[in-house]
Amino acid sequence: MTGIRIALTGNPNVGKTTLFNALTGSRQHVGNWPGVTVEKKTGRIDWNGHAIDVIDLPGTYSLTAYSADEVVARDYIIDENPDVVVQVVDATNLERNLYLTTQLAELGVPVVIALNMADAAEAGGYAIDREKLSALLAIPVVRTVGTRGEGLDGLLDAAIREAETSPHHEHTVGYGNDAEAMIASIVDVLSADKDLTKRYPLRWLAVRLLEGDENALAKIRDSPAFTGVQALLSGIDPDEYEAAMADRRYEMIAAVLPQVRTAGAGGMNVSEMVDRVVTDRYLGIPIFLALMWGAFELTFAVAAPFVALIEAGLAWLSATVAGSIEPGWLASLVGDGIIGGVGAVLVFVPNIFILFLILSFLDDTGYLARAAFIMDRLMYAIGLPGKAFIPMLIGFGCNVPGIMAARTIEGEKDRLITILVNPFISCSARLPVYILFAGAFFGAGAGGVVFLLYILGIAAAIGSAKLFRHTILPGESSPFIMEMPPYRLPTAWTSLLHMWSRGAMYVRKAGTIILVGALVVWCLASLPFGVDYGSSASLAGALGHLLEPLVAPLGFDWKIAVALLFGFVAKEVVVGSLGVLYGTGEGGDALSMALLADPGLSAATALALMIFVLLYTPCLATIATIRKETGSWRWAGFSVAYGLVLAWLLALIVGHIASLFLGGA
Amino acid sequence: MSNVIKGVFGAVLGVLYGGLGMLQIVSAVTYLALPFVPASFFGGFVLLVIGAVLLTGARKFAQGLDEGVVFVNVGILLSVAFGAVTLLAAGAGALEAVIAEEAWSIADAITPAVYLAVIGAAGFLAWCRTFFRGLVAA
Ligand SMILES: Nc1nc2c(ncn2[C@@H]2O[C@H](COP(=O)(O)OP(=O)(O)OP(=O)(O)O)[C@@H](O)[C@H]2O)c(=O)[nH]1
Ligand SMILES: [Mg+2]
Repeated sequence: MTGIRIALTGNPNVGKTTLFNALTGSRQHVGNWPGVTVEKKTGRIDWNGHAIDVIDLPGTYSLTAYSADEVVARDYIIDENPDVVVQVVDATNLERNLYLTTQLAELGVPVVIALNMADAAEAGGYAIDREKLSALLAIPVVRTVGTRGEGLDGLLDAAIREAETSPHHEHTVGYGNDAEAMIASIVDVLSADKDLTKRYPLRWLAVRLLEGDENALAKIRDSPAFTGVQALLSGIDPDEYEAAMADRRYEMIAAVLPQVRTAGAGGMNVSEMVDRVVTDRYLGIPIFLALMWGAFELTFAVAAPFVALIEAGLAWLSATVAGSIEPGWLASLVGDGIIGGVGAVLVFVPNIFILFLILSFLDDTGYLARAAFIMDRLMYAIGLPGKAFIPMLIGFGCNVPGIMAARTIEGEKDRLITILVNPFISCSARLPVYILFAGAFFGAGAGGVVFLLYILGIAAAIGSAKLFRHTILPGESSPFIMEMPPYRLPTAWTSLLHMWSRGAMYVRKAGTIILVGALVVWCLASLPFGVDYGSSASLAGALGHLLEPLVAPLGFDWKIAVALLFGFVAKEVVVGSLGVLYGTGEGGDALSMALLADPGLSAATALALMIFVLLYTPCLATIATIRKETGSWRWAGFSVAYGLVLAWLLALIVGHIASLFLGGA
Repeated sequence: MSNVIKGVFGAVLGVLYGGLGMLQIVSAVTYLALPFVPASFFGGFVLLVIGAVLLTGARKFAQGLDEGVVFVNVGILLSVAFGAVTLLAAGAGALEAVIAEEAWSIADAITPAVYLAVIGAAGFLAWCRTFFRGLVAA
């Protein structure tokens, strides 16, 4: 059995991860926008006696990398020598995709083209002559449809064949007399270094050097040929060469395309029509807001009957427990601790699943990519590239991948700002807190309140970004041209699958972290022995009273202080802890009843609490991720401190203003 | 000819959406109770947005711009989409009322977002061929 490494590369959003998942049976995240994958992922398959490692890479437009995720892709292909590179190509957009092909060909690695999204191309009326394309590029071309797993066998066979044949015929672009002469002299100088000759194709290296590629320059810095190359390059303008050579590549593509492709009928299709309107200068943002509001309405309304069912089930369960378990402390552990704590979180499973279903749907259709496009102008005004909105959109699901998605941002300062503001984007774990409090205190207006909280989160992120830009991380960002994925009608199945894989995490968390959190809080509420459960005299009470002065100005009592403290672990724990502390082992909607009955709580304090939960540190995992992505505890600490201060201030201000209108506090 | 019809359709439906959207917002702010117009600030906002899209289309028609048809088409799509969302939410409300044994009346489900979407859906069916061109299943 022989081992073969296949690297999947290609432009962003062409379906690399979809193919990777289909090939390896993995469930890596797929999304209809560029920049979903930011790390390399490996999967193993056995195929006809070959052990094949498939490597999924982030998307990249060229081998001249600009952003952190592109660097990952470039370095892997150039330095790790995969046996064969499969370039996944979007069949509906050959112009942009073949540019990378010209660079891969130059690199001399064995390449196979997966002509993906063939279904979309065919539906759009394009016909592509694969044999002709293959002959013109001297690269095997295989038709694939990643979403339906079509063409995988052919792709693997072609990849293995390419990996095992040598030598490969390189078919490179000619750059014209002037550039070719320069390339030849650079190759001449480089060929003196035998070590370099073994590691890199010299023509490729010479081209990169001529284009002024820093990374290529770094590769020859220690070589004896370095000074010679420097002398050759000293008199020239690399930008001019880069532009001229890019032109040549596009000319080559322009010459190939008409020979292999017959275009479909013209006219504006629905995708283009919808784009024209949803990205309209004036209507774009209102439509975005309207859709968001619709999403939260659905999240609330459609989940309600399911929530009612779960509440009824939990009520039955705790009644059974209370009646049948001896001794009393064990009944309290199960009733107050487990059912009260974990149950309070599980009640919201329907809301979470529906929110994810809607987000998956908007994502899969391609609307979320448009949302980023609409926000581009706004983002640019605050000094961030429009691309920075994508990590925010991902943050609505969970801040951890949101922060990791900031790797697609090019400038280091831009990336830091994008990371630091991501925690203000309201992740799904915060939803249970809102539903609980908004549902209890705002009745029919609950949907509107939650919608406003999400908007406040975005506003806090944007405001903070502007603040950072003008204070600690000054600079200017470059405008970004965003490529828009086409609208697709997602099958119910893909959206459901997305919903399931994201939502299952919530349920898993309920069984692990939240269970542990609930048990810890239950212990604190029950100790020392003999104390009244959950009373001020318990350990939880002592801890809460210790913290109370800090949050008293916000109108929070010791129980909320304890819940917020444990909320650092994860936001669902806030709800879980309150479930335990309010001792609502009777289950059902008893927790919201108990909250309403608490004289210390009013609509205004509920609002302040929701704002506090929105803005302070989302969870431990987020802190760890910020530390990892910024490489320093300093930024992680800064994020926690800044979040706490902002949360405290805004909760105070809004709480007081609200108490004027709503009474109480 | 069909374009003139579409322009007028967009204008009429746009005015209805805009007007009822205003009414919803007014009744949300002033606690005025109107039949078949729920007091909902954001609900009203959504109707205004749909109205704005349709009226933009009608205006472009009036100016003789081809783009008008694009806005009316998308306005119709939004109308149908939000009608479906509202209906779904109302259906869930009914189901919840059954489970929790609360009172529920069909009148709660008859809101502008729903009955205007019926008109939108009529437009959708009348011009349905334009909507399916070039759309690809993922
Ligand atoms: N119609 C169609 N859609 C596809 C096909 N393959 C992938 N898609 C869709 O294209 C979108 C992008 O897919 P991904 O697999 O995330 O693309 P990627 O190349 O990994 O993207 P990045 O990680 O951002 O570089 C998703 O919405 C997929 O469902 C295909 O063959 N046909
Ligand atoms: Mg990917």
